[in-house]
Amino acid sequence: MKYAFYPGCVARGGTPELLVSANAVMDRLGIEREEIVSAACTGAGVLQERNQKLGDALNVRTFALAEQMGVPIMTICSTCQGVMSQANRRVLQDPEYLAEINTVLAEEGLEYKGTTVIKHLLWVLVEEIGIEELQKTFTKELSGLNFAPFYGCYIVRPSDALGFDENPERETSLETLIEATGAVAVDNDGKTKCCGLPILLINQGNALQMVSNHTGEAKDMGADAMVTPCPLCHLNLDGYQPKAAKRRPNGKIDLPILHLPQMLGLAMGMQPKELGLQRHIISAKEVIGKAAASPAAVG
Amino acid sequence: MYQHDVLIIGAGLAGLRAAVEAARMGVDAAVITKVHPIRSHSNAAQGGINAPMTDRGDEWEGHALDTIKGSDYLADQDAVELMSREAGDAIIELEHMGVIFSRNEDGQLGTRRFGGQKVARTFYVGAITGSAMLQVLYEQAVKLDVNIYEEWFVSNLIIEDGACHGVMAMNIHTGELHMIRAKAVIMATGGAGRVFEPSTNALICTGEGLGLAYRAGAPLMDMEMIQYHPTTLAGSGILLSEAARGEGAYLLNSDGERFMKTYAPDYLELASRDVVSRSEQTEIDEGRGIDGNIHLDLRHLGRTFIEERLGYLQEVAVEFVGIDLADDPIPIRPGMHYIMGGIKTDVDGATEVPGLYAAGETANVSVHGGNRLGANSLLDTVVFGRRSAVAAAEYAKSAERFSSDESMLQSEQARYQALLDRPADLRASAVRRDMGESMVAGIGVYRDQNSIDAATAKIKELRGVYSRVAVDNKGKVFNTDLMSAIELDYMLDVAQAVCAGADARKESRGAHFRTDMPDRDDENWLKHTLVYKDGDGSRVETNDVTITDWTPIERVY
Amino acid sequence: MEQTLRVKRYDPENPGSAGYQEYTVEVTDTTTILDALLTVREEMDGTLSMRCSCRASICGSCAMRVNGQAKLVCKTRVNSVAPDGETITIDPAGNMPVIKDLVVEFKPFWDKMRAITPYLQPEGEVPEAEYLASDDEMVHLVGVVNCIQCGACVSDCTVLEVDSSFLGPAALAKAYRFVKDPRDGHQKDRLGALNESSGVWDCTRCMQCVEVCPKDVNPMGRIMAMRDLAMEVGYNNTSGSRHTESFARTVKKNGRLDETRLAVDSMGIFNIPALLAEAPVGLRAIRKGKFPWKAHKSSEPNKVKRVFEKIEGE
Repeated sequence: MKYAFYPGCVARGGTPELLVSANAVMDRLGIEREEIVSAACTGAGVLQERNQKLGDALNVRTFALAEQMGVPIMTICSTCQGVMSQANRRVLQDPEYLAEINTVLAEEGLEYKGTTVIKHLLWVLVEEIGIEELQKTFTKELSGLNFAPFYGCYIVRPSDALGFDENPERETSLETLIEATGAVAVDNDGKTKCCGLPILLINQGNALQMVSNHTGEAKDMGADAMVTPCPLCHLNLDGYQPKAAKRRPNGKIDLPILHLPQMLGLAMGMQPKELGLQRHIISAKEVIGKAAASPAAVG
Repeated sequence: MYQHDVLIIGAGLAGLRAAVEAARMGVDAAVITKVHPIRSHSNAAQGGINAPMTDRGDEWEGHALDTIKGSDYLADQDAVELMSREAGDAIIELEHMGVIFSRNEDGQLGTRRFGGQKVARTFYVGAITGSAMLQVLYEQAVKLDVNIYEEWFVSNLIIEDGACHGVMAMNIHTGELHMIRAKAVIMATGGAGRVFEPSTNALICTGEGLGLAYRAGAPLMDMEMIQYHPTTLAGSGILLSEAARGEGAYLLNSDGERFMKTYAPDYLELASRDVVSRSEQTEIDEGRGIDGNIHLDLRHLGRTFIEERLGYLQEVAVEFVGIDLADDPIPIRPGMHYIMGGIKTDVDGATEVPGLYAAGETANVSVHGGNRLGANSLLDTVVFGRRSAVAAAEYAKSAERFSSDESMLQSEQARYQALLDRPADLRASAVRRDMGESMVAGIGVYRDQNSIDAATAKIKELRGVYSRVAVDNKGKVFNTDLMSAIELDYMLDVAQAVCAGADARKESRGAHFRTDMPDRDDENWLKHTLVYKDGDGSRVETNDVTITDWTPIERVY
Repeated sequence: MEQTLRVKRYDPENPGSAGYQEYTVEVTDTTTILDALLTVREEMDGTLSMRCSCRASICGSCAMRVNGQAKLVCKTRVNSVAPDGETITIDPAGNMPVIKDLVVEFKPFWDKMRAITPYLQPEGEVPEAEYLASDDEMVHLVGVVNCIQCGACVSDCTVLEVDSSFLGPAALAKAYRFVKDPRDGHQKDRLGALNESSGVWDCTRCMQCVEVCPKDVNPMGRIMAMRDLAMEVGYNNTSGSRHTESFARTVKKNGRLDETRLAVDSMGIFNIPALLAEAPVGLRAIRKGKFPWKAHKSSEPNKVKRVFEKIEGE
């Protein structure tokens, strides 16, 4: 299967290591893809609060571009996934609305017919590649590691826009992948909560408290690292963790935050540099060491 | 020490409307309620509120006639006239307060049709009219800074020299008992549906207001008039609004036939509720039901219409029975819904006990008589809620003093303690279920002397075992177990009064249909039944219905 | 069939006994969780305290957490949560102090409702008849009036979890009902108050409230609409509104997002101390190769810009 690749702005901007590691992992898996280079930002929900139709139009434009390519969209960002899924649901539920947007797109010769499928890499791996195929690429069994999942709001809510009814496995897809590497998935309460990034620049105290709660909880539960399919969560959980740590009783947390492809890359035995692991604010050194010392994967 | 000029028990529509009026009059008024006002059962009223509006060509007489006919001529016509005349202003006032009523193309308030009326004069908010009104009246109470005792349970009245001087109540959060003195008390405690099982009523509708007034010496009037709503869900008894039929839904029997054409050729599904419920029951009894139910069919209305105008009904259908109203008919049956009977009051809410007033479902003015029209209950609450506050405030002005007796509180405390001290024996819930099922069996859509006698005997037996009811929960904080046991005490009184009224009325009228006496008897029974507490039992008296302009004639739909 | 409920117990008169208690009850396909809990309370253990009343999802009494998520238990069927008879865990609603068992203190909830001036404030002469307004202007508000104030959204709000001063989804949805009511004469004052801290800008857009609301009120959508309205009527000088404006500007220009610009704009360029406070994080990020100095772009930014122009021009 080929995909219309939509990396999202943050995978290029704030967390360039995500794009690097995702490309490395996808290459290893042989996932064929072509980037939708002309696509705009999804609006991340921010644009939508100013003008929902504008946000929807930008996304429908992306869907139309993918439709022309005749393949599903694949993203590596939870927020992009959610915003696109919601926009897609809105236009599919309201053909008149879609027609209005198509009028705007007609100027550049685009029309969205409503057939584009949008899937995060996380779902592509679980639903299409399959755990068995994935595991064939693993050279390490990360059995000594504990990873705390952290989904990001937009890939879990609203559940009816994300197809959880038809694809119930999506609800636990991140744990499924963690366990596929041989690691233990920590059952942290914060895994589906908000990382705080959207209000980081508005109410920093609250945003930092969220970082502190979620990373602190995972750390207390014995996590070696947190794994997220959302680069926006990563920005906050990693970048602001030192500041958030001041809110913990002992003043420190030191929980590395891995992008989903970085964890997979470790299981594939890739080098930290290939995965951009040196670029994190919170050092991933210990996790890298434990992964390297892990037994070889059987399979 | 708690004291107020006017104390209102209950914070549904009648109670809050009374509170708003008292606050506007500047009297020291407070509301006491066992649940937060927003949780009151008025929120379950779905379909709308009736009002004849002169500016759209509907005169009050039309509404009055429909109401009186609907009541099977048991309503007091002076009271009905007053309600019909005040209705228009009440609606406009609610709109000005903020209720988001549905509108027509001209931007005016729109209406829908309701049962027993040929004119569309029912104002509504989707299928959540009661909830929307309750929120707005609560907003007004907040605006006027009304003092509200939230989650306080009134378990007795302070009666001194035959007059009401306040209440004794438990703060549910602490378990502490207090006296709250008042110069006048307004009972606005709603219905007593839980005396029946099943019922559309909420679990809080235990009718202790009726029981409290009854024990204080106030007569309960026309208690045999129990409304069975034509469209309730089997099993749970959850209500599906008359708005469905108002908007055009059909009732179908097992042959897929709109059977109402044989019973009410002119009004069909929109005959008055007692008529429709009896028709359904006959269909079921004669073997044309569907597993003991009737089908309510909305399919022809279309999905968009259903979701826009009857959204809450669709929600209930999908969530509770998994039926999409746009795709399938839904099984319904008659279910106990409303009590036309209640504490006898005059048109200003005064009961026969000085200082005690009543309004709303707990009162009987009487504007509903033998059968209440759909969407008249909300009107009743705001019209008579307001009037009772005016009268109670006036009375409070003339009342000289607050009561000072403390001994009553000790005996009330002893009553609680006895329940707490009793070793495990009978659960209140078991007695309540037994009572409820016996009441539906005995005082149902159809009844006769045998069924009434059986219910009467059962209630007497259950009253006998009440002294064995014990509670598991011996704690102070949020002891709902204890509350249920005390509620049951009053529910048994209400049940007994219902049976007494049913036994006394030797005819069929409105909701009281006796198969052994199927005819209305205007010669002997154009009368109200008044049940007075008398020792351990009761005595029934009667008084004449007030007839003004409308001579009773045969009732045909 | 049999169903086990694992119910959180707490008795303030005996706090040491707090913990989960299991009850097994008989259920059918249509049994709701409330039905099951009522069976427990009425037939097995009268010491269990909870609020419940209408059984028909209209009174708002019975919001509690079912397997960690707030639900109105009267409209939640047992088999929808536990199709294979899995044990169901019931906790009291979150973000409010527990009084006893499944009963929580709603006072903060009602206090916040009061804080948004929760009543219509018309201005000008009162008409003799009803206020005239189109059904279109009014009927959409029924979607908000649908709110039964059950507190499910407040229970699971991720902001309230860290900041109890936040007005929260229920009170803000209620505020929207007045802000958008054509009969109300205080839209601007209302938006001004909501524009303050603890108001509309403190929402993280996490969608918990949208997900758990049993009445489809969509509190977050209402909050977002009020942000837009606040900016429209001229409240532009909050970091929230600058954030949104900056976001739109940069996407319009490049087709993509520019995080460095966003950080500078949101704080307000005159907010020197706050910018400096950010500096350590910013510098560290730059050292690690993050936040590229040069913004990345869509390959066809002009086409994206056209979409902006056409829709903003509507």
